Amino acid sequence: MIFNSIKRFLFASGLLFCCIYAQAQHQIGNSRISGDFGFNGMYYIPDSIIGAEPVDSKVRGNAFLNILYSNGGFSAGARYEFYMFPLIDFDKIGYKGQGIRYFFAEYTNKFISVTAGNYYEQFGNGLTLRAYEDRQLGIDNSLLGARIKLTPYKGIYLKGIWGMERRNFDSYLDRHDFVSGSDLELSFGEMFPVIQEKGFTARVGASFVSKFEQPDQNHIFTLHPGTDSAMQAIIPSDKWPKNVATWATRMTFGYKDFRLDGEYARKINDPNISNGYIYKPGESFFLSATYARKGLGIAASFIRADNMEFRSQRSENSNSLLMVNCIPAINRQYSYQLIGDYSYASQPNSQIGAQLQVNYQIPKKSVLGGKYGTDLTFNYSRFHDIERQLVPEAIENGTMTGTTGYTSSFFKFGPNLLYQDIGLEISHRFNNKKWKWILAYNYITYNLEILQGHAGMMRGHLVASDLSYKITPKHALRLELQHLYTKDDDGSSIYGMLEYSFSPNWFVSIGDDWNYGNPLEGHKTHYYNISCAYVWNTTRIALNFGKTKEGILCVGGVCRAVPASFGAGLSVTTSF
Amino acid sequence: MKKNFIIIFCMILSINVFAQESKDKHLAKLPAVEIQDLNGNAFNTADIQNDGKPVIVSLWATWCKPCIAELLAIADEYEDWVEETGVKLYAISIDDAKTSARVAPFVKGKNWEYTVLLDVNSDFKRAMNVNDVPFMCILNGDGEIVWQHTSYAPGSEEEVYEIIKSLVKK
Repeated sequence: MIFNSIKRFLFASGLLFCCIYAQAQHQIGNSRISGDFGFNGMYYIPDSIIGAEPVDSKVRGNAFLNILYSNGGFSAGARYEFYMFPLIDFDKIGYKGQGIRYFFAEYTNKFISVTAGNYYEQFGNGLTLRAYEDRQLGIDNSLLGARIKLTPYKGIYLKGIWGMERRNFDSYLDRHDFVSGSDLELSFGEMFPVIQEKGFTARVGASFVSKFEQPDQNHIFTLHPGTDSAMQAIIPSDKWPKNVATWATRMTFGYKDFRLDGEYARKINDPNISNGYIYKPGESFFLSATYARKGLGIAASFIRADNMEFRSQRSENSNSLLMVNCIPAINRQYSYQLIGDYSYASQPNSQIGAQLQVNYQIPKKSVLGGKYGTDLTFNYSRFHDIERQLVPEAIENGTMTGTTGYTSSFFKFGPNLLYQDIGLEISHRFNNKKWKWILAYNYITYNLEILQGHAGMMRGHLVASDLSYKITPKHALRLELQHLYTKDDDGSSIYGMLEYSFSPNWFVSIGDDWNYGNPLEGHKTHYYNISCAYVWNTTRIALNFGKTKEGILCVGGVCRAVPASFGAGLSVTTSF
Repeated sequence: MKKNFIIIFCMILSINVFAQESKDKHLAKLPAVEIQDLNGNAFNTADIQNDGKPVIVSLWATWCKPCIAELLAIADEYEDWVEETGVKLYAISIDDAKTSARVAPFVKGKNWEYTVLLDVNSDFKRAMNVNDVPFMCILNGDGEIVWQHTSYAPGSEEEVYEIIKSLVKK
C-alpha cells in the first residue's frame, strides 16, 4: 500500500519533471514555466534511551511539487503535496494527506492585481493578518478565496481579501468560517518625491480584519471549579460572537539614518479556548527604532501583546493551526545547536518585552580591525508576561470563563520572566583570508514552565565558536564547537561539528551533541550525526544518519515539538 | 484529484511542445514581483538591471549563517569585482516582519555596498521557486538568468566571479 502510493507519486512526478526539463529555465516570448520539487524522507530505528518510539511505518517521507506558469502580467500555479506517510513530526501535528491544497491564478498590471485561489498575505507587521507558509514547521495558513490589490495613485496602496484558511489536508466543504479584510497604506515619500529628496520617509497605514464563524454548540463550563460549590454553567450558542474584528493603525517615520516604526492593534469579541473564553478586548503594540550608518547599526524594539491570539476557529488550539494574525517574536534568533531548544516562542496572549541589538564594525585596516574589519554584535532582550488583575465577576465565579476576564495596566511588566538573552558575537577574518573565526557568548534565561510546560527555569551560559579554514580556494574546513553550561533541565551539553566542503558541489560533516551533564544516569547520551550533501546548481541531495534529541524547533518565534528520532534520512530539493 | 493532476500534466506537455518549435525561445528573465526597498518603497523585481552589465541576485536572511558567510566573502572582493566588470549585486532579504526592521542596521553594520531589497511576504522567493536560502542567480546584460545556485560552500564565490568575467568578455 505505502510502496504503491510512493511508486505512483514518483512515477507521476518523474514524468512531469522530464517533460518540463526541456523547457525549464527558458521562456517563449513572455511565457515561462518553472517549478520546484522537494522530498524529505527517513528510515526510523527505535531507540529507547533517547525516547525514539517504534513507528508503524518505518519508511516515511514528505514530498511536494510546485508548478508555476507566467506570461506577462498573468500567472498561475499549483502545488501537489504527498504527505500520506509523513515524517513523525508532521504526523504528530496532523499534517497528513495528499492532494493539491495550493493553486492560484493571478493577473497584475500597474494599477490592479487580482488573485483567485490560494494566496499568502500580510497587513503591516502582521498584527491583524498574516497568512504565510513555513514548510519546515508544517505551517501553511494560506487563504483560499480572492484578493484584490489596487494602486490608484503613486504611493497609495489598497488591498482587499476574502478567504478560508487552510487547515492541513482537511476539506474546505464543511467549513463555517472565513476571514475578510482590507488594508490601506499611504506612502508620502512616493506621493511627493520632494519629501524623499530631503531625506525623509513617511508612511501611514490602517487595516481591518474580520473573522466570521457560525456558532455551533453551547459551551459548558464549571463555576467554582475544585470547590464544594462547583456547578455547571453554560454559554449558549447564540451568545457566541459570529464576527470577531481586529483593526490596527501603523506609521513609519524616517530621517536620513534614523527610522521609527510603530503599530497598534485591537481585537474585540473573541472568547476562545486560548484565553479561557473571555470577552475582554485584546490589544497589541509594536515599536521599533533603528539607526544605521556606515559600520554601525542599532535596532531597538518593544512589543506588548494582550489577548491577541486570533484564529479562524475559536476552539482550535493546536500549534499555529488556523492562526489569522501573527504577533512577532522580536528576540534575536540563533542557529546554535545547543540552544535550539531554548528559543523564545512568541506569546500572543501575554507578553511584554524589548530587544536591543548593536552591530558595529571595527574599521578595516585598524589595529583591532585587521585588514577586513572585525564585526561585533551585541544583543539584549527580555520578555515578561503581562500584569493581570481579575475582574470582580471572575473572582466571584471562581473562573474567568464568560466574563471580561481581567484588567491589565499597559506598561507594567508581569511577575513572570519568560525569556532573557544577553549576547556578544565577534567575527574576524584574518589577514591572509584563509582563516575566519566567529566567537559568541550568550547568557540565556528561559521559562520552561510557561514556554514548554515542564517545571522550572533554565539558566545557561553558551560559548560557541565557528572556525573556518580555506585549505585551497575550493577546499574548506569548518569546525563548530559549543558548550552549554547549565544546572537546569537536562543539564550541560557539549557539541562539536566538523564540515569539509569541496566547492561548489560537496559537503561532508560529522557532529556530536553530548548531553554529558544529564542528571539521570544512563541519559548522558551522544546525539551524533553524519551527513553528506551534493549540490549541483539548484539541486541538492543530502543523506544523513544519526540521532535527534527530543525538543522544539523554532523558526521566527513560532515553534513546534520535535520528537526524538534515530535513523537515516534522505532529502532532495530542486528547482527548474 | 487525479484528474487535476492529469490536466496540469497535459497543459505543460502542450506548452512544452510549443516551446520547442518557437523561435522566440530564450533564457528566462526574472519574474516581475512587487517587493520593497529599504525605505519601504515599492520596487518591482523586473526593474533589476545594470545598464547592460551583469547582475548578481542573492536571496538571504539575517538569521541565515551560510547566507551571511557568502555575502561577507563577496564583500571582501566586491570593490575589485565592480571595478573590473561593473557587476552589481542585489541582496534580497526574505526576513519577515519579525526581523525586517533589523535588515538596514545589519547591512550598515557590516558595511556592505550591495543594493538591499526586502521580500517580506516571500513573494519573490516563491516566484523564483526557491526552497531554501542562500540562493544566488546571475543575470547577463540582457537580464537573462544564466546561472542559479543554492547553498554556499567557501570558495564558490570564485565560480561566481568566473561566470561574471566570461559574461563581460562576450
